[in-house]
Amino acid sequence: MNYVNILNKLENIKSYIESGILELYILGDLNADEKSEVEAMSKLHSEVRAELEQIEIDLGNIAENLQVLPSDNVREGFFNFIQFSEEENITPLASKQEAKVTSITQKPTNFYKYAFAASLALLAVSIIALVNVNNNLNNTRQQIIALQSSNQNFANRVNYLDQEVTKTTSALDIYSNTDYKMVKLEGTDNAKGAKIMIAFNSKMQKVGLDMKSMNMPKNDSEHQYQLWALVDGKPVDLGVFDMDGNQIGFKEMKNIGQAQTFAVTLEPRGGSINPTLEKLMVIGNI
Amino acid sequence: MINTKRKFLEEPDLILALQERKKIGADALYEMYSGSLMGIVQRVIEDKEIAEDVLQEGLVKIWNSIQQYDPTKGRLFTWMVNVMRNLAIDKVRSKDYRNHSKNQDIENHVNSIDEQRNSEYKPEHLGVKDLLQKLRPEQKVIVDMIYFQGFTHVEVSDELAIPLGTVKTRLRMGIIELRKYFK
Repeated sequence: MNYVNILNKLENIKSYIESGILELYILGDLNADEKSEVEAMSKLHSEVRAELEQIEIDLGNIAENLQVLPSDNVREGFFNFIQFSEEENITPLASKQEAKVTSITQKPTNFYKYAFAASLALLAVSIIALVNVNNNLNNTRQQIIALQSSNQNFANRVNYLDQEVTKTTSALDIYSNTDYKMVKLEGTDNAKGAKIMIAFNSKMQKVGLDMKSMNMPKNDSEHQYQLWALVDGKPVDLGVFDMDGNQIGFKEMKNIGQAQTFAVTLEPRGGSINPTLEKLMVIGNI
Repeated sequence: MINTKRKFLEEPDLILALQERKKIGADALYEMYSGSLMGIVQRVIEDKEIAEDVLQEGLVKIWNSIQQYDPTKGRLFTWMVNVMRNLAIDKVRSKDYRNHSKNQDIENHVNSIDEQRNSEYKPEHLGVKDLLQKLRPEQKVIVDMIYFQGFTHVEVSDELAIPLGTVKTRLRMGIIELRKYFK
């Protein structure tokens, strides 16, 4: 085993393998001729091929057994020094398409993001504005209600004043009209100090009570005053009225053409057919 | 074809990934072999910093010259080991390295550069004693010098004054012994 015979190499494969030349081949420790020779032998003989493979496995095992971990900056340096092809020639189409796709999808994504944010902001502003408008509307409504009620009050007051003016004017007309004769009714023992002014127009057959100047005790809800005219000694009903102290103008009573005396009695509400003389309140002659 | 999440690739996949210059190839190369290759380099160059520089340079060289690797002529790892060993040996023999070693030695008050490397064999600094203890002394010297320190068999023959044939067969016997150890 310890001899090497170069002349026997080609004939004796076993001794060729055991010469140790294959180990040197694996380690790259052969000149060009020896190298070609090993390669030729390897092609011709499967035993040589198998042994070469085994020597390579040995080398791997030995190296693995003796491995030393390098520090991390070796890795860093290595990766900094080399360039990868992924971007350049292996998948250029894919990466370009990817870039395009992202550039296309990027914009709408941002657009919708901003649009959504803008919508939210707009919504918030709108809600605030709506609340403000609603508050203003409520205020305005209350103001309108207040104005309407004051307007109503004012209208009522105007109506009231208008009526007063009308009544006062008609009262003035009556007083200034010479066709009217003013008859003063004085209080009896039943109502001392009471008085009523009656305007009587015999031509028009009109009788009016001057409500404003009337001075009578207030009647209750079960009774009413009733005005009578004495015509040739007989009482004639001229209607009923109340005394509440707030009336103005002339109250027109039933018509009559002629009379000698006017009298007022206190009667049950609605009036009586015949006057109750015990309740005679005021009386006056024309 | 290649699972991009795995850093450990089968050799044909790794070769393809390296040839196509894919990042997964660089990842797998580093994860799978940087330790073993560093071990190889440090057998030749003791100084860790310099050994790491050489390792990095060798990895870059492997990456850049992968087209020169011919899978029909052997395993990828064998080719990488030879790239590394050649770089390491070139480094050790360079003027830079000798100056560096000299400075180191002066600083450390250690021996002169001639003893450091290249002409003398010093088994005690190899750190492979456990492995080599399996071998007979005459095999151990030769395996260590050729496999781990990058001497050529011609250099060993000169150094030890042993015939070339004997160097080769002792190397062979030593490898066969180690093979038993790994089985």
